[in-house]
Amino acid sequence: MTRLIVIRLLQLPVILAVIFFITFALAWALPGDPLQRPEGQRPPPEVALAMKKQFNMDSMPSFLVSYMKNLAKGDLGPSLKHRDQRVNDIIASGLPVSAVLGVASLFIALHIGLFAGIIGALKPGSGWDFSSLLIALVGISLPTFVTGAILLVVFAGLTNLLPPGGWGSPSHLILPAVALALAPAAYIARLVRLGLADVMGSDFIRTARAKGLSVKRALFDHAMKVAFLPVLSFLGPAAAATMTGSFVIEKVFAIPGLGEHFVNAVLNKDQFLILGLVLVYSTILVLFNLVVDVAYAWVDPRIEI
Amino acid sequence: MRWLIPILIVDALLIAYLFTGGAEEKRADLVFASSSEHNSLDPQQLSWSHDIRIVENLFEPLVKIKIPELTPEPGVAESWTISEDGKTYTFKLRKDAKWSNGDLVKASDFVYAWRRALLPDLAADYTQLLWVIKGAEAFFNWRTAELETYAKLPAKEKSEERAAALMKKTYAHFSETVGLATPDDFTLVVTLERPVPYLLELAAFITWVPVHANTCDAQTLMDPESGRLIQDPYWTRPAESATDEKPALVCNGPYVLQRRRFRRDLLLVANKQFRDYALMGNKSVLEVIVPDGQAQYLMFTRGEVDWIPSFTGGQMGPELLRQKIALERLKEFRMPFTGEAIAAELPSRDFVHPVPSAGTYYYMFNCNEKLIDGTPNPLHDPRVRLALSLAIDRDRIVNAVTRLGQPVAATFVPVGSLPNYDAPKEAGVLFDPARARKVLAEAGYPGGKGIKGLTIIYNTGSEHENTAQSIAYTWKHELGIDVPIKGVETTALGDAHKKQDYSIARAGWNGDYLDPTTFLDKFLKDNGNNDSKYNNPKFESLMKEAATQLDPKKRMALLREAETIMLQDAAIAPIYQSVTIDLYDSAKVKNMHLNPWGFRRTENVVVDRGEKK
Repeated sequence: MTRLIVIRLLQLPVILAVIFFITFALAWALPGDPLQRPEGQRPPPEVALAMKKQFNMDSMPSFLVSYMKNLAKGDLGPSLKHRDQRVNDIIASGLPVSAVLGVASLFIALHIGLFAGIIGALKPGSGWDFSSLLIALVGISLPTFVTGAILLVVFAGLTNLLPPGGWGSPSHLILPAVALALAPAAYIARLVRLGLADVMGSDFIRTARAKGLSVKRALFDHAMKVAFLPVLSFLGPAAAATMTGSFVIEKVFAIPGLGEHFVNAVLNKDQFLILGLVLVYSTILVLFNLVVDVAYAWVDPRIEI
Repeated sequence: MRWLIPILIVDALLIAYLFTGGAEEKRADLVFASSSEHNSLDPQQLSWSHDIRIVENLFEPLVKIKIPELTPEPGVAESWTISEDGKTYTFKLRKDAKWSNGDLVKASDFVYAWRRALLPDLAADYTQLLWVIKGAEAFFNWRTAELETYAKLPAKEKSEERAAALMKKTYAHFSETVGLATPDDFTLVVTLERPVPYLLELAAFITWVPVHANTCDAQTLMDPESGRLIQDPYWTRPAESATDEKPALVCNGPYVLQRRRFRRDLLLVANKQFRDYALMGNKSVLEVIVPDGQAQYLMFTRGEVDWIPSFTGGQMGPELLRQKIALERLKEFRMPFTGEAIAAELPSRDFVHPVPSAGTYYYMFNCNEKLIDGTPNPLHDPRVRLALSLAIDRDRIVNAVTRLGQPVAATFVPVGSLPNYDAPKEAGVLFDPARARKVLAEAGYPGGKGIKGLTIIYNTGSEHENTAQSIAYTWKHELGIDVPIKGVETTALGDAHKKQDYSIARAGWNGDYLDPTTFLDKFLKDNGNNDSKYNNPKFESLMKEAATQLDPKKRMALLREAETIMLQDAAIAPIYQSVTIDLYDSAKVKNMHLNPWGFRRTENVVVDRGEKK
């Protein structure tokens, strides 16, 4: 297992370098000038050039050289849009917020998903099973901007139970976490439901049952061990995705996380921020996948790595 | 049960967070919502209106604009004299103007601020506004050239000391060549490149405010690589995150910056050193940053924010204004039999406050001889442009397309936006299809036959698209010209404007300072913002004459004549004056004084939520 971890960690810089150059080429090719406002007074050419030079953006090589130099020091550079912020600080302020929201939504997703999946598997074909599948279908089909807006209208607009947006207290967390959790919850419910249905019919469960184990004991002690594996492999990328934020949910609920930057940085052609975000996100994704692989082996002794 | 462990980890993390919840704080006197985080709070670097909205409360300029009169009144300068040739302004600073740390505001603080604005090292969108000062532009170019030379030095000759020496030389050069002098701490003499009759209005603009020279300068360093001066981007830090080595932003305006949480909120508290501290209508202002318009509106209806300045909120703001207009029209209507007013049954929209802004929504014509693809440009003939402009039904656009009741624009300088300038309405172009057909026939295109290569481009967004469709329809219907429309990304539209990669393009222009030249300069043939590539020697000579005319009345008359010529040449087709929408309940929020230029005196605003007492 140590070997796997070492190899993966050695691969990381190579993967990051490839991602970096592809992103850099794309970001540089975007139309428009990030240092210029789209409307209003345009500075004279000498001032425009001076502004470019402040950010070493007067030519592609000078940008790359200075970016690499700073990157070696762990500095992701300034933001072209938020000129009084450094990319490091933008990420440092947004990532924890998105991470907390991500953890909260994973919490909800896991609990609802497992509960619905297990209920369905315990009583296949029952009303419980049917309704849990129906909810799963709704959860997967409805986009977050719809569920988010509905939650906002019901719990903040009509009933005044929860704050409509913002960040700072646990009550701010509830609505966006629920909105963000619905789709993964539905997905988990389906994975568990299908996995359990499959495993519960297999020989080793039949043997366990024949030895006198109750359905519940067989399910929780033996079948879940196997049926949980697909959930675990889903959790890696899902955790990376939810913890780095959701553009829609963060916008609707005014949450100062990372999600909005992923879209706005590209719209603003904020090269430093685009590159910084991509590097951080790729690193998190690779690491989470590694954690999942290790956890896999640990949960299921049949797997050797 | 190993499979339960990941779930338990997630549970533990969340529970740990829930126990660290923060405490509620006292609500600020005035709370307002903005849709975007600030781009910069550095007064010499910022250029966005939502940044100005905050920073204008932190710094007091030499001269302020009085509202609602829109005339200059003393700020840090208690008086000023202007030399006879209009080129030298001597400002006498008041002796009780203080920085938030207790220091006196000195003339040298202004010189320091303007010098940093003029360094290419820190140059920004509005650097050019200071080029009216004698020698300022030359200084900028001198320093650019010096930096160029430095950058070419071999690596081993570059050092921090060498960069610092160049900086010292630069400062010496600045004092020798740029027309700024401080005979004593409280006198500032500004010598100009040419007479600038609107210097007082310019000096009220954000780029011209002073900064506390010592703290600002302490947070700069020299980059040995490029020789440039680099400002710590966090020098505008709020009081809450300041330390001994990293002091908070020192301000001389009515407020100081207390707290800033990136993309959450920004808190201003009254500056105890401000001379009118006792007279302020409120002692704290909180700006909450809420990107989504619907969420903003929800917070407003729940009373969590008192005010939403320049509210758009996607289509929310325009929709509220449409409802207000509809209610206005319904006022006289009564229910049959009962005689009750219909409008009384509907929710009130009194909190919607529209104000026509000092900005024009217009269509721009490419005046070049050839289009970018090399084909002949029919719009090179002013008569064709005039015909197109005459065939835009502006009333229909504001009443049936945008439905926001914007004032229809016949001129480029918005009528009524400047106290001493009377825009030439009578010369302006309004809907006159018969005359349009006649002019078009004179230009050699009777019935629109033979016109080729025209397309309207606009930035995607329903309001722009609907307007473009309406205009294209009228042109087809009245003139027989088929003009396709094409939506592009906002930045791409900006690029097209700049490169004349268009024949007809949507555009908007907002004035920066209180003078017609902020609108008219852009039609000078060498102006970098002349995207129409309009060029008329008569216009040029009138503008030139106006630039040296010292008599304000005569000068305005000359500018008026110049605008008349530009409008008759139809370099652009003005459509309407933009409207901004502020949301606040005027029974609770007082002393707002909305005006076309968005000038505010936040310190005078009183919010009475009727809570205590």
